[in-house]
Parts: sequence; C-alpha cells; structure tokens
Amino acid sequence: MKTIQIFDPALCCSTGVCGVDVDPRLVQFSADVDWAKQQGAIIERFNLSQQPLVFAENAIVRGYLERSGQEALPLVLLNDEVALAGRYPNRNELARWLGVAIEVDAPKSGCCSGSKCC
Amino acid sequence: MRFIEHPPHFLFFTGKGGVGKTSIACATAVKLAGQGHRVLLVSTDPASNVGQVFGIDIGNRITPIPAVPNLSALEIDPQAAAQAYRDRIVGPVRGLLPDTVVRGIEEQLSGACTTEIAAFDEFTALLVESSLTAGYEHIIFDTAPTGHTIRLLQLPGAWSGFLEAGKGDASCLGPLAGLEKQRSQYKAAVDALADPQKTRLILVARAQQATLREVARTHEELAAVGLTRQYLIINGVLPAEEAAQDALAKAIFDREQRAIATIPPALAPLPCDILALKPFNLVGLDALGCLFETVAANTTETPATPNPDAPSLATLVDGIAADGHGLVMLMGKGGVGKTTIAAAIAVELAHRGLPVHLTTSDPAAHLAETLNGSVDTLTVSRIDPRIETERYREQVLRTKGAQLDAQGRALLEEDLRSPCTEEIAVFQAFSRIIREAGRKFVVMDTAPTGHTLLLLDATGAYHREIARQMGSKGVHFTTPMMQLQDPKQTKVVITTLAESTPVLEAANLQNDLRRAGIEPWAWVINNSVAAARPASPLLRQRASNEQVEINAVASRHASRFAVVPMLKEEPIGVSRLLELTRIPEVSRE
Repeated sequence: MKTIQIFDPALCCSTGVCGVDVDPRLVQFSADVDWAKQQGAIIERFNLSQQPLVFAENAIVRGYLERSGQEALPLVLLNDEVALAGRYPNRNELARWLGVAIEVDAPKSGCCSGSKCC
Repeated sequence: MRFIEHPPHFLFFTGKGGVGKTSIACATAVKLAGQGHRVLLVSTDPASNVGQVFGIDIGNRITPIPAVPNLSALEIDPQAAAQAYRDRIVGPVRGLLPDTVVRGIEEQLSGACTTEIAAFDEFTALLVESSLTAGYEHIIFDTAPTGHTIRLLQLPGAWSGFLEAGKGDASCLGPLAGLEKQRSQYKAAVDALADPQKTRLILVARAQQATLREVARTHEELAAVGLTRQYLIINGVLPAEEAAQDALAKAIFDREQRAIATIPPALAPLPCDILALKPFNLVGLDALGCLFETVAANTTETPATPNPDAPSLATLVDGIAADGHGLVMLMGKGGVGKTTIAAAIAVELAHRGLPVHLTTSDPAAHLAETLNGSVDTLTVSRIDPRIETERYREQVLRTKGAQLDAQGRALLEEDLRSPCTEEIAVFQAFSRIIREAGRKFVVMDTAPTGHTLLLLDATGAYHREIARQMGSKGVHFTTPMMQLQDPKQTKVVITTLAESTPVLEAANLQNDLRRAGIEPWAWVINNSVAAARPASPLLRQRASNEQVEINAVASRHASRFAVVPMLKEEPIGVSRLLELTRIPEVSRE
C-alpha cells in the first residue's frame, strides 16, 4: 500500500477563504486527492498552521523547511521519501506513484507532442 | 427588573464594549446572592474590572467575594486564553522549526476568531454539570459567545475526525485546532446554551438607533442557534429631570427617547428594562446596589464644568492636509462613529479646497447621500458590505465549494460567515479606490485589522519577492501592504470613545496594527461630553469620568490625538460636520 503525505503551507481559517483569492490549483488538487483515495491510496494532509508538530517531528520535512523555508511548501512524501516539492502533484503524477492507469486521459505518445510527425 | 425575575441556571449578558455589561452582571450577581442563592460570576471582559468593583484580586481562579456571602467570581482574560491556546499549538515546535515558520503559525492563530474560541474553551467547563459547578444555583457571564462560534461548534463537519485523529482534509479548522477538551464536552456546552430552561440571554444596549439596530441583529442571530430566551436592557438612559438642566441634556434626552420609541421591530416583543444613567461610577457594593434603583442626580458632589485642554479635529486635519494627498483610514470598533469622523475629516479637507474622495461602508447610506455634491472638491462613494460579502461568498462557493461534500460545504459556508470574510470582501472593494490616493486625499471609514493585513500579505510576500527581482532592473514596485506601512502615503486614525472598555479595545487594535508594521498616526476620541462643556450635573459627572480616559489616551496610547464634542443634533450635513472639528469655547448659560 502506498502512503502519500502532503505537507501544506499555513492555510488560514479554512481552505484559504481568509486569504485573498481561492487558489484554483488547490481546488483541483482536492478533487485529485479524492480520486486517488478511490484508487486505494492512503493520503494524509497536514496544515502547517494547525499541525506544526507533525512537520517538526519528520526529519525530512523539518530539514526541507530549514533549507528552503515555508514558501517552498507544499512538500509531498511517498512512503516517507520526497516525491515532489514546491507544487501540488497532478493526477498523472499521483497515478504513476500509485501504479495505476488513468482511464480518462488518453496516454500521450512521448515522441513529438503537438506536431504531426506521429 | 424583569430580566432578573425567575432566573435560570445560566445568565449571559451580551452587548458592545462599553454598554455596561460587566456592571450589570456584577449588580445582578450581588442581588441574587443577597436573596440567598449561591452565585458564580464569570467575567471574560478583556477590561474586566470585577476585581476592582469588589475591591479584591480575582484573576483566573474561582474566588469567594468576602463582602458578599454566597458570591464567588472568576475572571477569564481572553487575550491570555488565546496566548495559552497558541502556546499549546506552537510551543512544542518552537526551536524545532525555523523562527519565521513559527511566527507565521502564530499569526494564523492571532485573529479575533481564535481569541473568541479560546475564551469559549476556557468557560466550557462551567457550562456542563461537574463538581466545579455543582455548588452554584446561578452562573452569570458578562459576555456571550457569538452566533458564529456557536454555529461552528454545532457543525458535525467541524469535528469529524479532526480532534480525534488530529488530521483532516478540510483544513477548515484553524481556530478550532487547539481545542483540548473532549468533543462531548463542547456538545454539552452548546446544548446547554441552546436550552431555554437553562439559559437566559440578556442583550444590553444604549438608547441609540445604531446600537439598537446592531442588538437586533445579535438577537436574531443568537435566536437562530437556539438561544431563544432573551431579555433586553437599555442602559444609561438620561432621566427626564436632567433634560431641564441644559440644551445638550435636552437634546440627548429627546434623541434617546426617540430611539426607544422607534425600537427595531425584532426587539419590541422582548421583555425590556430601562436603567437610568447614574451620577456615580459603578465601583463598590453601595454603588452596585443602586444600579437598579432611581437615584437623584445631586447625591454626589458635582464637578465643575469641564475644560479639557485637548486638540480639536481641525488641528489633526492640519497635519493631514500638509502632505497634499494620501490615504486616511479610520479604524475602530463598530459604533464609535468612524463614518462620522471620516466624513468630518473629508469635509474639513474639502472645505480648504483640497481634492477629497470619501468612501464609506456605512449601512445607513444617508450620510453619503447628504454630502454628495455639497462641496466642490468632494466626491463620495459607498461600498455596501452586504453586497460585497455576498459577491465574495458566491465566488468562493462556486469555485471552492463545488468540489466539497455536504459536510465540507457546510463548514466552508460557516467560514464565510466569519467577521474576517466581511472585512476582506470590503477591503478588496476599497482597494480599488486606494490607488487614487497618489493624486488626492482618499478617506475611508473602515480598515482591515493588522491580523487580516498580515494574512493578506502572505501572498504579498510573493509580490515582494517579484519586486526584489524586478528591483535590479530598476522597475518600481509596491505592494498594497507597503503603501499602508508608509506614513507618508497612509495615515491610520484610531477612533474611540472616552470610556474604559472602548479605549482598551482601541489599544488592542493599535497593537494588532503594529504587528503588521503599521503605526497609527493619530487617535480621535469621539462623542465627548466633556468637550461639549455641559452644564447639567449628571453630564458634568460623566465628563469628569471621561477626563480620566482622555488623559490615558494622551499620555499612554497616542502620539497625537483629537477630541470631538458630542453635538446636540445628529452630525449630518456639511455645517454640522464642520462643527465636529472644533471644540466650543467655555460658555456658562
């Protein structure tokens, strides 16, 4: 079983409502998290302003915060190893980590996206 | 006194700072204890003077009052409670995480919501049956939780998995994250509040139209969450015989009687008591004993006609005018008269021929209408907080809410009812106008708190990073926060009343702004009876009480300040607004 842990930056009271604007990437990511859970993944999210102890107790996360600061969040761990840093994963990345296929998006061929060569 | 008849187990007093909740709560406690009931008095007033009232130190533990058999008291300092609450979350990581990270987390937990939740957390234990409360027949609170807090605690989505598991997807629980008691205890507490057999809510107001309107909103909001057993007290009403003493007293008397006669329909069915303005301070048992009685005005020695040696608003405007342009933001608790002072400053500037844009969020709107086009260089615009907040809510629910399940959506909707939401929505609307302040004067009757500014600036930090990178290419770039922090561009004027709780609340606002790197430029003390130089003995007594607070502002809080006199008429229209900017000469009638 794959465990994905997401260390969110300090979001204020809720979802960033009290911030300036609702970040559409966060919205998309919430939906992707729901999808991944349906695929059987264990996904945990931690908010810096609410569960700072989790950040402090994890050596990888603590080291990352010390080197790069909280502006460099989010940090994504896959089975306790860094999988992605500085942005939220998209659905393709989640699928790759979980080893599942995505049925909706047709897989793109790697050779030459956009041109007519293949 | 109807509110004190057949009292239930819990009595909550609620109302704006300075309406006299604590004094009335104390007097109620003394009265019930005098009838042989065992009473616990709980104060969560940040300016609690319960100890002073009874002449002993109380503090954050249940303390018997020696002079009053059957009475014990407890003072909960909401600021200290919030600090303890922050420490519970932040303490374990201090030294482990980088300092900047720790400071950021602390800011997230420094808002008004956190303070309220923390205070609620403290007195939750008093709302449930326990050995702590078993000995008391009546527990009297001098404040009540807001509808927002109660609704938040009633939502199942606010709890599921969060307290128990310590992690949740919703991340909607900022202010709730540090709650340490069991969920069942909060549920019991909220249930007790909503039980009309157990709980009576007493709304305390002054006889002013705006205050009564606000109390009507509180009434409806709390009734909707189950606190249906409500009473109303209109406190500090000027007695009829005093009206004969001078023109100002007559004008106040007429205005108050008019406000009582035209009470909002929502409040009309509530059992109502009217308490007369007293000529003495409500400190000490004798004074408390008289609160519910009618007392002749001349029982105490009457001070001389006040002669406060205080600067007028016009002298403050001199300093604003000197810079030629800029943003002036009025800041203060609701009901202190920010809109009026903003209008007076704007009119005074325009009167001097300077270009001014006054922008107001005044719900009454009449002020903006009467001023528009009245002075050549003055333009007036209005932002409707209700419309702006609704627009913002809809936008968030459309984008963010679409992805959430029913519980998550309920939680998001409640978050959007928090006071911060309105503040942000209104500020976003205002910020469109702020840009004009480079060319003319822009006067705003509202401002976000330092806490909100810091949160908004969390994204500003990103802008600053861009600015730093652009800086090397010589491109000029400022964030809104940088504009607000620069005293040349922005002057924050704190507005308050010459009473102890409003002054303390204003000092808290000032500290909050300082945290955001904004130094308030001046304080304005509005509606001063002292500055109006009354002849009536009762008003002279009030004026001498005011003098203590005016001195405190002058010596402790403000680098510059002005005092605005209470007028006989409502300050509507250009000539009366100009009248506010001057302090009348002493005249003996």
